[in-house]
Amino acid sequence: MSYAYLFKYIIIGDTGVGKSCLLLQFTDKRFQPVHDLTIGVEFGARMITIDNKPIKLQIWDTAGQESFRSITRSYYRGAAGALLVYDITRRETFNHLASWLEDARQHANANMTIMLIGNKSDLAHRRAVSTEEGEQFAKEHGLIFMEASAKTAQNVEEAFIKTAATIYKKIQDGVFDVSNESYGIKVGYGGIPGPSGGRDGSSSQGGSCCS
Amino acid sequence: MQETDLLDLSDEADYAASQQHGSTSMMRSDSDSGKRSSSSETDPAEVLFAKDNVAIHPTQFASERISGRLKLIKQGCSLFLTWIPYKGQSSNGRISEKDMSLYTIRAEPLVDVRSIRRHTPALGWQYIIIVLSSGLAHPPLYFYNGGVREFLATIKQHIFLVRSAEDANVFLVNDLQNPLQRTLSSLELPRVSLASGPSTSISAGESPLNDDQERADGSIHDANSSISQYSGRHRQKNHDPARDLSIHVLEKFSLVTKFARETTSQLFRENSNGFGALDRKSYNLSADEYSPKAANNAEKVSNAHPVASDPMEFDKLSLVWGKPRQPPLGHEAWATFLDSEGRIVDSKDFKKRIFYGGVEHKLRTKVWPFLLGYYAYDSTYAERAYLRSTKKSEYETIKFQWQSITPEQAKRFTKFRERKGLIEKDVVRTDRSLSFYDGDDNPNVNLLRDILLTYSFYNFDLGYCQGMSDLLSPILFIMEEESESFWCFVALMERLGPNFNRDQNGMHSQLFALSKLVELLDSPLHNYFKQNECLNYFFCFRWVLIQFKREFEYDKTMRLWEVFWTHYLSEHLHLYVCVAILKRYRNKIMGEQMDFDTLLKFINELSGHIELDSILRDAEALCICAGENGAASIPPGTPPSLPIDNGLLYPQQDEVL
Repeated sequence: MSYAYLFKYIIIGDTGVGKSCLLLQFTDKRFQPVHDLTIGVEFGARMITIDNKPIKLQIWDTAGQESFRSITRSYYRGAAGALLVYDITRRETFNHLASWLEDARQHANANMTIMLIGNKSDLAHRRAVSTEEGEQFAKEHGLIFMEASAKTAQNVEEAFIKTAATIYKKIQDGVFDVSNESYGIKVGYGGIPGPSGGRDGSSSQGGSCCS
Repeated sequence: MQETDLLDLSDEADYAASQQHGSTSMMRSDSDSGKRSSSSETDPAEVLFAKDNVAIHPTQFASERISGRLKLIKQGCSLFLTWIPYKGQSSNGRISEKDMSLYTIRAEPLVDVRSIRRHTPALGWQYIIIVLSSGLAHPPLYFYNGGVREFLATIKQHIFLVRSAEDANVFLVNDLQNPLQRTLSSLELPRVSLASGPSTSISAGESPLNDDQERADGSIHDANSSISQYSGRHRQKNHDPARDLSIHVLEKFSLVTKFARETTSQLFRENSNGFGALDRKSYNLSADEYSPKAANNAEKVSNAHPVASDPMEFDKLSLVWGKPRQPPLGHEAWATFLDSEGRIVDSKDFKKRIFYGGVEHKLRTKVWPFLLGYYAYDSTYAERAYLRSTKKSEYETIKFQWQSITPEQAKRFTKFRERKGLIEKDVVRTDRSLSFYDGDDNPNVNLLRDILLTYSFYNFDLGYCQGMSDLLSPILFIMEEESESFWCFVALMERLGPNFNRDQNGMHSQLFALSKLVELLDSPLHNYFKQNECLNYFFCFRWVLIQFKREFEYDKTMRLWEVFWTHYLSEHLHLYVCVAILKRYRNKIMGEQMDFDTLLKFINELSGHIELDSILRDAEALCICAGENGAASIPPGTPPSLPIDNGLLYPQQDEVL
């Protein structure tokens, strides 16, 4: 399927926070509690529509364990967006956000759009991190923030699409030189390279699944 | 040089044996066995060409050659090539039966051949190199009695041969069925004169030398000292191909020919050399790349051999073809390896047997503890029973160490809590689609957890790391018993533990060795990775970390692992498997100009699509090809070699969970 732009996303965060489940919910619209843990990296893709333009998201789902950080770092290159995920029921996954952010800042493009996701919002009764703390952290570090649930699908679609809309707006504003693929954006057929007068990147949900 | 007289019967015996092993069933109907074939239901086979005293040189010394008979056989509309060494007739005692069978070519279908390169040195014997579609090639076949031209002419009568535009001594073998190639062949490619020397445009077919007379006497060197002397000098320049044949050069040829097959139109439009297409879009590199060499070449040999090969291209010989896999080791054969007290008498032979065929599923529980190093090969039944019981109580002791941690104690023991939490999260994400591990509260999942947690106390410095559960899962599946599974896992981790070091040094050293092997075995691919900043080989990370566990179905993984564990040809066969897979897709990788991201995605998506047996054969062949140079590319201590003992097995692992 042709697209106007292709955005590379990377999903990062501690092991077991639900990175692969978020991806699966977004690409396949299903929750699979039993799946193999991620070794290295897995890939997913889906088409979405923003400002009436078809945009393909190519999503890199990484292994979360500390030992694999040196490998994970090589995946940041050329990512336009990152989903930084923690588990609202496990405090330590929130505490590790700073080190993930440091990795991202160091190894990714400076203009990479980062979405902070507090996952497992369906388990509110076991909550160990308040929504306010998440908001506060995001604000301090200039991230977009949402709580989501890969299980109920709450905010999953929104998180991926809002990230894309933000990237799209950056393109419209001329922040990116889209001809330079190191920004994690590829121009496809029908894409209009370069700034075009700062229109709003109003997002619309949608899209067919596409791998 | 009496071989001609002695060979026939042994040849037939060998041939009969080879029929049982070869993948293609084929009946003979040449003069000496026509009667046998008449009883067959299959199409009769016809011997189109047979040549005696065709030899290979396993070493640099022609005196150590292995002589045999080369045949072209036609069955139905398929053409096969065989080369069977004369039994017991090697000219030198140093060549073993094993070597001889290693080099045997059993019914190689011509459709699997990509090209045949002819070499016609001024002095010495004519030889050919058969390059397969896989990019691998058979070692040079020396025609001690001449006959190369006749051989090629015979092939040409039955399938379409195209002379390479690149090199008049390279003949591309085309599939008869493909109409495009048929067209290509019928056009009889105009040979593009790449070199400036006038002689290079002379077709090899017009060579003044007569195939059938020129080398009829294999002892020509000894007979005439002055020729011998000249030969010596000449050989210095030309190098003995048996010593000097480079693998990647062969692939260069095969790449050229493949390219010719695939892009016929390009080939005609431009003076394609195919190879240059890798780094430039226009295919006009031939002139500047080849002229100086070819001109130089022409000058050296213009008096007799207009299209002799460029000696500079050859630096090492080595190509063989991995053996076909055998059926897995069964109970009966297993019993023959044991003496009356249960010792495995010939462990080398035992490992070799498993290397070539693996182990029947039901037998694995008996065999794996040996392969993993938990049982000693020379242990008796009684000794093993004793070992099991002492190891069982040792296991219980270690297990009790974490089982006895009270909740109050755990509150103050962060490292334990974290480790336990991580393991509990991972065992429920390990092979749950297998019935052995599926469902809620599956006792086998609890065993995975208990063994991993116990291991993290047994080896507290290393602890637990993701990937370990993937390695343990098949072991528990096979061994079933908890303590036995644990100790088999311990034995495996003696070798693979460094894969999980926090600093990843074990992984980095393997990926580094892999890059060295690719550099040795496929330098164009190495250069491609280099140019595209892929030399860290992170795209092979998962392959190496968990030994291809995620790339094959469960049963295939177990087969692969037991082959690895034999350490029969190399402790590092897994790296040769990496090379074999990369080589299989090299043209796609380079042709599509994959960058790091694309390559990583491509490699990931190969999962489930790799054909195990043929990759193992390729890996075996590559391992043999690489020989000592391959071994030298892998630094000592690279996993899964046993670590060099320095007292601390896992130093500086303080922060590991």
